[in-house]
Parts: sequence; structure tokens; C-alpha cells
Amino acid sequence: MINLFNAGLAVYLGALVSAVVFLMSSRRLFDITANVLMSAGALMQTIYIGIRWSEAGRAPFSNMFESLVLFAWSVAVIYLVLRLQRNIPWLGAAAAAFCSLALAHASTYEAAIKPLMPALQSNWLTFHVLTCFLGYGGFAVAFLIGIGFLVSDREASTVKPETREALDSVMSRTISFGFLFLTLGILTGAVWANSAWGTYWSWDPKETWSLITWFIYAIFLHCRFMRNWSGRRAAWIAILGFLSVLFTYFGVNFLLSGLHSYAS
Amino acid sequence: MSEENQTDASNKRESEPSAWSLIQSWLGSLKFSLFVVMLIALACIAGTLIPQGEQVSRFLVKNPGSHKALEFMTRVGLTNVFYSWWFATLLLVFSSSLTVCTLKRYRMIGRSTGAVRVRVIGSLITHVSLLLVLAGGVIRAMWGEKGVLQLSEGETATSCESQTGAPMPLHFAVRLVTFELELYKTPNEPSDVGDVLYVQWPEKELLVPISLEETNAPVVVAPKEQAGSENTFRVKVERYLPDFYLEAASGEAQSRSKFPNNPAVYVSVIGAGVTNAEWVFARFPDFTRHKKSGDGGRMPLQFRFVSSGVKQVMGRSQGPVKAFRSTVEFLQNDQVMLTKTIAVNSPTTFQGYTFYQLSYNPDDLRWTSLQVVRDPGVPVVYAGFLLMMAGLTVVFCVGPYLDDKRKGSGKPV
Repeated sequence: MINLFNAGLAVYLGALVSAVVFLMSSRRLFDITANVLMSAGALMQTIYIGIRWSEAGRAPFSNMFESLVLFAWSVAVIYLVLRLQRNIPWLGAAAAAFCSLALAHASTYEAAIKPLMPALQSNWLTFHVLTCFLGYGGFAVAFLIGIGFLVSDREASTVKPETREALDSVMSRTISFGFLFLTLGILTGAVWANSAWGTYWSWDPKETWSLITWFIYAIFLHCRFMRNWSGRRAAWIAILGFLSVLFTYFGVNFLLSGLHSYAS
Repeated sequence: MSEENQTDASNKRESEPSAWSLIQSWLGSLKFSLFVVMLIALACIAGTLIPQGEQVSRFLVKNPGSHKALEFMTRVGLTNVFYSWWFATLLLVFSSSLTVCTLKRYRMIGRSTGAVRVRVIGSLITHVSLLLVLAGGVIRAMWGEKGVLQLSEGETATSCESQTGAPMPLHFAVRLVTFELELYKTPNEPSDVGDVLYVQWPEKELLVPISLEETNAPVVVAPKEQAGSENTFRVKVERYLPDFYLEAASGEAQSRSKFPNNPAVYVSVIGAGVTNAEWVFARFPDFTRHKKSGDGGRMPLQFRFVSSGVKQVMGRSQGPVKAFRSTVEFLQNDQVMLTKTIAVNSPTTFQGYTFYQLSYNPDDLRWTSLQVVRDPGVPVVYAGFLLMMAGLTVVFCVGPYLDDKRKGSGKPV
């Protein structure tokens, strides 16, 4: 099974190389190759997750290795869905780099299927983790677009205003998508905590940092809808929000102890 | 004052906004609302980075130099952020601001049309949902109860210990029937390992496992290729007690319960000039209790008793915990009204109180620890959750869909 994981990583790296060559050469063949490889990578990961799910007899979303695989998968899927609607040439390279990095990092953790502790033996695990990581995936793509926006903004003379507007619009939509799923993730986590421990909110560091992340994006969405915040400010918030996501995901696991300590 | 001046003053008063409308416009302004949200976010960051509550003493043990800094932080409420008066005040201000914003959105519905109106409705639902969640929290704080109930098997309780340490009376009795701990099998462990007595004689390279489930008849054991010689022994498990103890009056070995809390076997050995017997304990392999019989003699064999029951007792060191559950009876007027098994993720409710499997005592598996919660705010909070998802779906899915439809058809929706 680990071969499928490695094959997925290799395919994402291939997509990255093709996407970079496309950016340098502008030859459409490389763009097509990059997207085919990204699709193949997402498909391989889907099969890998499916096999692991079947072997473990539960959703494979319970530790750092499994969640990183899910993170890469969600970014790849969100990118591919986005690609069907908009063509942002460099986003393929950024998404492939992100997925490769996530899987490479996952490979540093133990891949063996471990039995679940009693608290994790719940169907809420599937809903809670899946929704959270779809949200994280949306924020990751928005973060990549935010960086791209800031870079393109520095070369404003060479980038068409329509392109920047399109980037801004996609960034806002991916943040909205991420916010919807992060909210669902927080709420399913609260319902789960209530059924496991009799408290839907206990100010656990992971819960609290999820709330902080939620606040950051809520502030952005309010400013966007009510003050028409866009452009550089929106890009900076997309970056700040994703840094908060990263701290919620990695920082809390490694630096702060709490109910989610098992996730490390 | 002239009539003209009086009229001017009266007009000025009418044109001046009232204090209430000023407060409303202040509370409902986007800048103020987001400022409060940012303050709450900063408080949350402080609450996760600064040691909180019971963490403080542990932190001080590791970092004695930070005593003064932590003392100052405790004085200003930074070591108990989420339960401090100032955090509660922040939440109150946030709720007030949210209420005014919600009212503003309600008024906006009539003034907007098409997709914008749909977004406003979605936003209104979302804001109402947040108010419901906060209201649920207030209901819990005002009328909710939470306590911990520790019971040993056979014990009955009519109250538990609240978070403050005070007794929290229940209007019924709870009796623990049994507590069970289930462990995952370790990879090399046969599924039907059962209870095994290992007979050892290291000097003679003898190691014989005797399964207690297989036979009660004597088993002949001998070192390699020396069967029939003077080194042959007949080993018999005479008695098995799952929960060994010595009766104080008679000094007789007996079992306290049928649960394998202290499993022991009484093993007799005959052969090679030895007639002896001893108690072998699974939990205390170095402790043996000799009881010589016949002409006695030094026991040449060593015994090691591996009991599946002991694996339960020493669960944490043996293998990962798969599940732990308590079977309890709820009684009223000494009548059993309900018998339920409570496990993690599988609580049970009786007369408004919900019982959750909290923890157990790994050193004494007759004990269980249950969380007892009565939270009348939960339905309100869950209604808030449902409304929140409905509101956000309207804002982020229905609104953009209508926008796209309008752009596609070129007509306003």
C-alpha cells in the first residue's frame, strides 16, 4: 500500500515539474501534462485513502500521517475543481508543490495503521476531520492565490487588471468555501465532544485556535462584503489566515497539550 | 430666553440623536464589532499560550524563575482567561454588538432586493444562530450542573462531586454493576492466549507452558531429553483464584470477587524428591507464598503466571485500550428503573442527567469515573448550530448561485 503513497508523491512531483516547465516555456502540452498528473495524483490518493479505510475498518483520519495525506488530497481536489472553472496558469505549479510538500512531510511519520483510542471511535471522526480538512484545503488554495496576487501586484504593469480581478474573486470564493467547511468542522467537533465528554466547548487549544482562525476569516468576509475589501488587503488576510490554520494544525499539536494531543 | 431661542434649542434637541441611538450606532458599527472580535481573538491567543488553571503549578515546577511574571498574570486574570470577569464582559459586549447588528440586518431585508436580499437573510440567520449559541452557553452557566461520580463495583451513590468540590445531589440512586476494560490484542499475541502457567528451570533449559484452560490434571515436565530421569516433575494447578485475598480470621486464601483483579494459582509439584506447593501471583511475579506439604523440599522449579485478567489490570502497559464501559443501574425507591452500559461516545440519560464514561483507575479496575451533566442549554446551542449552517449556506451558496444566474441571463434576479 505504501507504494501507492509513494507513487502519488512521485506523480505530484511530476506535475510540479511539468507546471514549472509550462510557466517557463508557455507550451500548452506541459500545462495539459501537469493537469493530467495532478488528476492522476488525486485519483491515486483517493484509492490509497479508500484501501487504508478498508484495511483499518475506519476512516483513516486519526493521526498526523493520515491527516497530511487528507490535506494534500483536499488541496488537489479543490485545485482541480477550480481548474475546471478558471485557468490560473501558475496555480497548478503552486498546488502541485503544496501537495508534494505535504506528502513528503507525511512520509516522515509512521504510516502503520494504529488502533483507535476509545474517544476517536465515533462516526463523528469522519465528518469532523473531513470537513475541517476541506476547509483547510480551501484556505490553502486561497493562501497560494494570495501569494500569487501579491507577486503579480508587484509586476502590475505586466499583469492585466482583469487577471488581478479574477484572482481576487477566486481568492474570495475559496475563502468562503473554506469558511463554510471550517464552520461545519468546528460544529461537528462540538457535537462530538458533547457526545463523548458532555461538553461541546472546553477551550482546548485546538478548539480555541480553530475559533481564532474562524475569527480571522470572519473579519475578512465582513470587510469584503460590507467594505468591499479586495486586492492586496484581501491577499494579506488570506496569508495571515492560513498561518493561523498552520498553527492550529501543527503548532497546537506540537507546542500545546490538550484533548487533540493524540493528533500528533 | 426669547421665543426664537427656545424654538432653536428645541429643534436642536430633536435633531440630536438620543443616547440610546448613539449607543446603538456605536455597538452596531462594523469597526466596533470587529474590534471586539479582535480583542476576543487576542484573549484566546493569551489563553492558549499562557499556562491556565491547573497548568500554572506544573509550569512553575518546570520554570521556577517565572514565579513573579505568573503572579502578575494571575492578578490580572491572564491565567484563567476563559473564566475571568473581563472575558465574560468581552463576550457580553460582543453579544450586545451582535444583537444590534442582527436588528440592523433585519431592517435591511425590506430595503434590499434580489440576490442581495438573499445574502442579507442568510447573514441575519447566521447572526441569530450565534446569539443562540451564546444564549445556550448562558443557560448552561445559569441552570446547568456538572459533576463527577466515582463508583466501585456494587457501590450505590445518590450524589456526585460538582466542579467546585461540593456534593451535587441526584434525585435518584446510581449503582455500578460492573466495569469492563477491553484491550487491543498486541500483534504477536495469539487471540486465545487465556491464562498460562510457565514452568521454568533455567539451569536445565526447561520451559513448559501449561494452559489453565486445557487441563486440571498433573502435567509431567522434564528438562530436554531427560524425561523419566530424576529430574521429572508432576506439576498440577490445584486452585485458581481470580481475586486472591487472605481471610483475616482463618488465614485461608479466598477470592474477593469473580473479577481477575489479583489472579493467583496454587501449584503443586511432586518429583525428584520434592513435594511442595506454592501460590503464584500474576500481578506480583516475584512474590510467592509457600505452603509446604509432605516432606517438603526446596522448590527447584520457577513459575510465572500470565493471566489475561492481569492484562486488564495493567492495561496501559500491555496494549492500547480499545474500550472501557460501565454497566450501571438507576434506582428510585430501591427499584431498578433502568440498566444501561455507558461507554466513551455512548452516554446515557436518566431524568435529565446525562452520564458519560470519563475515566477509570488502571490500578483497580473495580472503579469507574463518570461525568454527570445536566445542560438545558444544549437544545438551544444545537438549534444555533443548525441555523448557522443554514445561514452560511444561504450566504455562500444560494447568494452566489443567484448572482451567477443573473449574470448568465443578463437579468436582475
